[in-house]
Amino acid sequence: MVSRRGFLKGSGLALFGVGLMGGVPVFMAEAAASEKVTLLYKRKRVLVCIFQRGAMDGLMAVTPFTDVHLPAARPNLSLPAVANGKGGTLIDLDGRWGLHPNMKAFEPLFREGRLAVVHGIGSPNNTRSHFDAQDYMESGTPFNKGTASGWLNRAVGLLGHDAVTPFTAVSLTSALPRSFYGDRPSVAISNLQDFAIQMRGNPVAVNTTAKSFEELYDQTSAGLLHDTGKESFEAMKVLQQADLRGYQPAGGAVYPGSPLGNSLRQIAQLIKMDVGLEVAFTESNGWDTHFNQGTDNGIFARNVADLSNSITAFWKDLEAYQDDVTVMTMTEFGRTVHQNGTGGTDHGRGSCNFILGNNVLGGKVHGNVAELAVENLEDGRDLPVTTDFRGVFSAVADGHLRISDDKTLFPEWTGARAAVMKI
Amino acid sequence: MKVVIKVIAVALAVTGGWAFSGPGGGVPGGRLPDGESHRFPWHKAGLTERQAAAHLISRFTYGATPGQVDAVVRMGLENWFAKQLEGLSPDDSLGVRLSRYDALELSNEEVANTYPRNGQVVKMAIQDGVINKDSVKPDRKEYREMLQAYMMQKGLKQEQDLFRQMFCQKVLRAAYSENQLREVMTDFWFNHFNVSLTKNDCATFIPAYERDVIRPNALGRFTELLLKTAKSPAMLYYLDNFQSSGPPKGLNENYAREVMELHTLGVDGGYTQQDVTEAARVLTGWGVYPIGQFARAGGGGVQLAKFTDAQIAQRGFVHDGDFFFNSNRHDKGEKTVLGQVFPAGGGYEEGVTLLGLLAHQPATARFVCRKIAVRFVSDDPPASLVEKMAKTFLEKNGDIRQVLLTMVQAPEFWSPEALREKTKSPFELAIGAVRGLNGDIQQPLPLFNWVTRMGEKKYYYQAPTGFPDRGTYWINTGSLLNRMNFGLALAAGRVPGVQIDLLALNNGHEPESAIAALDVYGKILLPERDLAATEKRLTPLLTDPGLAQRVNAAAGDGAMAARPGDWPAKPVPMAKAPAEDRAMLAQAVGIIIGSPEFQRR
Repeated sequence: MVSRRGFLKGSGLALFGVGLMGGVPVFMAEAAASEKVTLLYKRKRVLVCIFQRGAMDGLMAVTPFTDVHLPAARPNLSLPAVANGKGGTLIDLDGRWGLHPNMKAFEPLFREGRLAVVHGIGSPNNTRSHFDAQDYMESGTPFNKGTASGWLNRAVGLLGHDAVTPFTAVSLTSALPRSFYGDRPSVAISNLQDFAIQMRGNPVAVNTTAKSFEELYDQTSAGLLHDTGKESFEAMKVLQQADLRGYQPAGGAVYPGSPLGNSLRQIAQLIKMDVGLEVAFTESNGWDTHFNQGTDNGIFARNVADLSNSITAFWKDLEAYQDDVTVMTMTEFGRTVHQNGTGGTDHGRGSCNFILGNNVLGGKVHGNVAELAVENLEDGRDLPVTTDFRGVFSAVADGHLRISDDKTLFPEWTGARAAVMKI
Repeated sequence: MKVVIKVIAVALAVTGGWAFSGPGGGVPGGRLPDGESHRFPWHKAGLTERQAAAHLISRFTYGATPGQVDAVVRMGLENWFAKQLEGLSPDDSLGVRLSRYDALELSNEEVANTYPRNGQVVKMAIQDGVINKDSVKPDRKEYREMLQAYMMQKGLKQEQDLFRQMFCQKVLRAAYSENQLREVMTDFWFNHFNVSLTKNDCATFIPAYERDVIRPNALGRFTELLLKTAKSPAMLYYLDNFQSSGPPKGLNENYAREVMELHTLGVDGGYTQQDVTEAARVLTGWGVYPIGQFARAGGGGVQLAKFTDAQIAQRGFVHDGDFFFNSNRHDKGEKTVLGQVFPAGGGYEEGVTLLGLLAHQPATARFVCRKIAVRFVSDDPPASLVEKMAKTFLEKNGDIRQVLLTMVQAPEFWSPEALREKTKSPFELAIGAVRGLNGDIQQPLPLFNWVTRMGEKKYYYQAPTGFPDRGTYWINTGSLLNRMNFGLALAAGRVPGVQIDLLALNNGHEPESAIAALDVYGKILLPERDLAATEKRLTPLLTDPGLAQRVNAAAGDGAMAARPGDWPAKPVPMAKAPAEDRAMLAQAVGIIIGSPEFQRR
């Protein structure tokens, strides 16, 4: 595959023109030109965000196993750190924190110092409504519902270069997520193969039809339609050059066949095509475990297996690109310390998140989590939020994407960044 | 002009009085002054009457139907508009289409009793001993089937069915209502006072919100809309006011902030954070009367069922439909909002006063009128136009009809800068294409899903801002390709549930070439637009002599194939023409719908 970096070296130009009737895509040439100045100092980097919708039980994902209050509060929802012959065992990370056994794929990444956990992360707004908490986290303004833009859209505006490509910000979802709302161009697409002119009943006419559309958009006096049309056709041709269907992940990586696995596989494809991706988003569902959450078996165990296996496959697939990529998970809040009457947990406050990347301060469980004695809990029931999510998001945005304007990224926020990145 | 007078008189009788306002201001008694001065000023902009009619239709309907330009010219542009403002044309054929949906007329209480939220069903099933709490496994098929059987037995239905019916009626009303302006304005106000299915708490009440709060007031008075949305369960839940209460704690400012920032004054409307907090205090105690058998304990611990309405009133409570004002939760201290003092000891009525105050602010008039002008004129409407509309808004007590009339009577509405300047939203594109082709929508969901795929997930916009109303929001690389693909799919009969008869539109004649097809169907779909350049540009492409043979060879290769997950395809009766001609025709029409010109209105 020919990358833009190859093209920039000068030799790739002719190659790239093959199959592109109009030559090098204008958006890529422009993006390349805008970077000339900074190219010496920085390479194109990609931040991949995964929203775990439904509120992940952080205490079960990464468990403070030395805390005696936890098994007392969760007689049926606790895993031991030492094998007792009855099912799974937590993976001891550091003598205090235990990783859920179904996330064993994460263990090497943690040991290598690439994967960090932040525990006690959450929002200063104590709403326990999924909707409100997701909305606040994605807009990045926990006390203002009317914020029109999402924090990742604002991040695109702060990337430090004007030219963006159709693939600068891509969400692998069917609808644009709240995080992407805003004025900066961003695309939601659930399947990259849909990025083509489709004429199922009349395949022979696809070329004449595509060319007809291209001519019409080229001719129109409406600037927005003209420019976007041009970009669309160029983007389409770039994707057509790649063999999307026959894609073979590198390094023997095997993605789970889940929606999350499929999304991350496609994000990896975009990264390898080098089409200008800088901010990617996708989501993982099913974390609202009010009923029969299970321990090493059941709904929660399946969810964390999918999450960790998908991310690990993605990481392996991108072995040659790992310096350029950081993955961050997020969830709207955590769950009650006590189990409820139906074998699950209810809406709580603090949870944990995962950050993976070569410039992450990994191998460590960050945050400030006190003993889970009742007097230390928020409202007497929940893991308190001790790290504002904005402190973590802004640290990752700066450490990875060199976005330092916190005032724009998170208006109304005056807190400090969490030390989760090597800078 | 006699006809005009008659129509206006009808409107007066119905609405309790609104009048054409000429350049000199309001006309007492609603009589129409004579003379040409009330003709819409399109001629000054150099338009022909047909062009003016096409412009008018493109702005106030979901798209012209074949022959509609002629019909509007015959009727007179002013008369047509007056009739649309009145919004009372019989809608019998729409009624027939809607009659197959059984949830459209249900009250909030009936909805709550029939379409419980999933969690409520689980709790009931556990209580009834039908399922064991240890066997709740939402990701298991057997469990879901068990729950479904339980629901059937109890006469309960899936909440998603309720929402699907709402989607269907939305599509059908937009496509087939004679009262197009009412539908367009319903969409506008819903978006202005946005609520979202993404928020579970309010979702159940959204069908009635649109039907009872928005649509009947879409052409009424702004104050009325504001008050009714404020008191509706959908809004009370969506912006959390239902849980806002007086001291010592419990104040929730969300609704108070958004009612100023998004519904009335606008973000630059000259209010302070102090005003927001004080307004929130004024609105404490505004909540929802417990609705249906699954209602959460309402009214902050008050056992409402114990009280008669008279006793409720005696205690300073207010029970008005689904709305409930709980004076126990109301902050009774003194407040000051925008300089107006609300003395201590007030109750429900001070909230009404506050909303009235907000509705009549000059900042509100400008903010709301600008938004209307953005919807109907251009993404960046001239300030002079907004000022005229805002003046009417204030003088006519927020009468939305008068504001629309002022807008259409202004030269700015007809200026060359405004023509074709708006970009159709995905919904407008989809409905407009169906209307333009006289399509028959048997099953609206696939069309609705296409609208989602093109970037407009109706009823699901999460933020209280509503969808941004500007071209740059709708048009991006992904959505643009989807628009082209939609055009191709619709024209080829590959949008399941929508029947298109292209030949019937041309009186059964087959155009003899692709270029002839572009000409014929371009005139139908894009009345009064200049298509010469388009045809010239496409002639060499679409007149490839080998095309027909190659298409023929490929015919039958997956024709009519539906996308996975789409509604099962119905055969589309277009069989009169041979396969290659049909394909050619569909291609030409698809190109028109996907063309840049058709994206504009």
